Amino acid sequence: MMSEFLKEMKSGKWIAVLVCVAAFALLPIVLQEGYLSLVNEMLILAVAACGLNLMMGYAGMVSFGPAGLYAVGAYTTGLILVYTKIPFWLALAAGPIMAGVVSVVVGWFCVRLTHVYFSLLTLAFSQIIHTILFEWYDFTRGDDGIVDIPVPSFLSSITHYYYFSLVAICVCLFVLWKIVNSPFGKTLQALRENPERTEFIGINVRRYQLAVFIISGVFLGIAGALYCGFNKNVFPDFADMMKSTEMIVVCLMGGIYNFLGPVVGSVVYMFLDKLISSNTHYWPLVLGCVIIALLIFMRGGVVGFVSEKLAPRGEERG
Amino acid sequence: MILRVEKLKKTFGGLTAVNDVSFDLMEGELSSIIGPNGAGKTTLFNLLTGHIRPDEGRILFKERDITGFQPDRVCRQGIGRSFQRTNIFPKLTVFENVQVAILSIRRKSRSLFSTASRMLVGETMEILESIGLAEKRNVTAGLLAHGDQRLLEIGITLGTNPELVFLDEPTAGMSPEESWKAVELVQRLARERNLTLLFIEHDMEVVFGISEKVRVMHLGSILAEGTPEAVRADEEVQRIYLAEET
Amino acid sequence: MQVLNLAHASLYMLGAYLCFWVSSLLSQAAGSFWWSLFAAPLLVAVFGGILEAMLLRRIYDRDVLDQFLLTFALILIIGDLCKLAWGVEYHTVDTPWPLDGPVIFGGLVFPKYNLFLIGCGPLLYVCLWSLINKTRLGSVVRAVTYNRDMASALGVNVSWVYTGVFMLGCWLAGLGGALVAPMSAVMPGMDMVVLIDCFIIVVIGGLGSISGAFLGSIIFGLVTAFGILVAPRLAIAFGFILMIIVLIIRPWGLMGKPE
Repeated sequence: MMSEFLKEMKSGKWIAVLVCVAAFALLPIVLQEGYLSLVNEMLILAVAACGLNLMMGYAGMVSFGPAGLYAVGAYTTGLILVYTKIPFWLALAAGPIMAGVVSVVVGWFCVRLTHVYFSLLTLAFSQIIHTILFEWYDFTRGDDGIVDIPVPSFLSSITHYYYFSLVAICVCLFVLWKIVNSPFGKTLQALRENPERTEFIGINVRRYQLAVFIISGVFLGIAGALYCGFNKNVFPDFADMMKSTEMIVVCLMGGIYNFLGPVVGSVVYMFLDKLISSNTHYWPLVLGCVIIALLIFMRGGVVGFVSEKLAPRGEERG
Repeated sequence: MILRVEKLKKTFGGLTAVNDVSFDLMEGELSSIIGPNGAGKTTLFNLLTGHIRPDEGRILFKERDITGFQPDRVCRQGIGRSFQRTNIFPKLTVFENVQVAILSIRRKSRSLFSTASRMLVGETMEILESIGLAEKRNVTAGLLAHGDQRLLEIGITLGTNPELVFLDEPTAGMSPEESWKAVELVQRLARERNLTLLFIEHDMEVVFGISEKVRVMHLGSILAEGTPEAVRADEEVQRIYLAEET
Repeated sequence: MQVLNLAHASLYMLGAYLCFWVSSLLSQAAGSFWWSLFAAPLLVAVFGGILEAMLLRRIYDRDVLDQFLLTFALILIIGDLCKLAWGVEYHTVDTPWPLDGPVIFGGLVFPKYNLFLIGCGPLLYVCLWSLINKTRLGSVVRAVTYNRDMASALGVNVSWVYTGVFMLGCWLAGLGGALVAPMSAVMPGMDMVVLIDCFIIVVIGGLGSISGAFLGSIIFGLVTAFGILVAPRLAIAFGFILMIIVLIIRPWGLMGKPE
């Protein structure tokens, strides 16, 4: 399935990708700033979800706590900018680096466990991160969050920041795409399908799992840092269970075994979110119903659902 | 001598699954282990391939002590294994199934940014051709017929470029016709690649048809060892198998 | 039952709300609290039974991710439904006669109701433990969890057993909520607090072990209390650290069995 996808990519899909990027680049001309920032938020969420999907969809390691690492990225950048005079670019880079360092520690523990225990442990760690951010008032300003984070003046306009993050996001997605199609990516898929067998083709399973945990953590950190610059405020609920679930739902909504699934998912998700939140206070209620509908009727997410309907019968199904 | 097993022992709780097993394998030898269910055959394989650690005893591969190595390290020494239950990567294509194994053994798996689909294509196709699945290379492995999945399993094992292969019931669940094809394939591959083979098998026709040496396991120990004719004539072996059937 | 159910906390909250609702409906009658303590858990159990039959039943054979998401979705839905029905403000339930007021014991003052709760815990544990381990019904339940297909081949209606066990679990959650109602305010968000606590407790004790959950909650209580003494702000983190230690050393929990 993947190699067919790759062939398609060679012929014509590159053009589609370029058209898409161009369309996003032209959006600021058409859209008002309010909508533009919505698109920006959506793209950042897409990076986080793609990072998570690398681990969850490709390597089959279900994390319940991706938001923890996302918050580490956001807080690192935010705290550096507020407390020190370190230039913006370095602060922005520090977010993912810190998230990577934290993933080394967290991942080192987590990959020792499998199945549900792995998932529970990721949840526990993200809750610890949340607790630290929430309770360490003197440093992280607890519930008040870190507000009015200084951003260089040329990035403070929404349009400029949009272009900046669009470039960053395209780079991230390209890198992730390379990883997915690399021998490492293939090995991860083998690992998801059958860890026992993978071990006996000479793969050190834990080491690969740790590697993907860290890579995924770095991308979550990038998303966090980008969001910090975008929002100029960070809050402890970046690390809470709701945020984690949001990312998982985005992955699932788009289709978990598909590279662009999370991107599609984040578009659908943000659209629903804004549409419903502007009409009613009961967004969680609707979100809950959406999740249930997804689980029961659309196992492959939007992308999976569409390709299933389009695909000739009897092929490609596993 | 390619493999030497010395006094291997493993107990689970109070149960001794493998008890004092010693044997040698010569290079290029084609031999099998038979025995009733629960005799400890699969446990023995799991010990030899590092999936479980023996309580006592040593395993020497080409005169190197590999006792207690993790499976991935055992595999890198040049020991391959196929599994009793079909053990493939169902959502990858046939081609990718074999390719990941070759990538791993060539130490290319860590490469993050090269494009996998263009790597080691020749090597992968060679193996697919020798197991007769070249034409199905783009089929999702999980959709193959059972017999083809078993062949693919052998293909993955070959991808790790082994010198010694343990086959755990390679013909399980195959029709008699498929079984014979698989057996011929295994024999041919062993000749072509100069492999040493040790397999567990239930199908007695297969066992006595191709093995040069047969070992009989019972209650965790090796009870008899010798040429197929000698083992078939052994009184104690007959007694166990008769008891099993009644 | 080997199902990861996060929505339990919501059922607990629902129990508290129902307890408030029933007791305010019956506020004229004598012993209104005791009636609601009886009614609320039953209503929660019925509600849980409907949920099980309509939704949860479909995901037993799915992986944990689906179970996590489905039950998280239920948390969101139940939380919002409670807000819709009873508003976002606090509600209180009066401490019932004859348990209102304090009791003085060795110079220390205890609220009677707290003592009552302390008594309830072990009592419920003993009842539940003997139900699972000593009765015929319990052995059927254990057989089903141990081997679904086998039990079904022996003529046990597996899906009814699942529904039944799930309803029992819901009843307990509802009872917990109803019992806690007079002690603390009934309000939105109370589910999240217990969710995290329950989670830690169950993981520490071992998934699928009642004794483990009981032991886990005692240890958790002690550790948290200790945490509050040492570093009040980080008290919750102590619970998680405990959970992480247990998960790493004995992933199956203190009283659970390894797979």
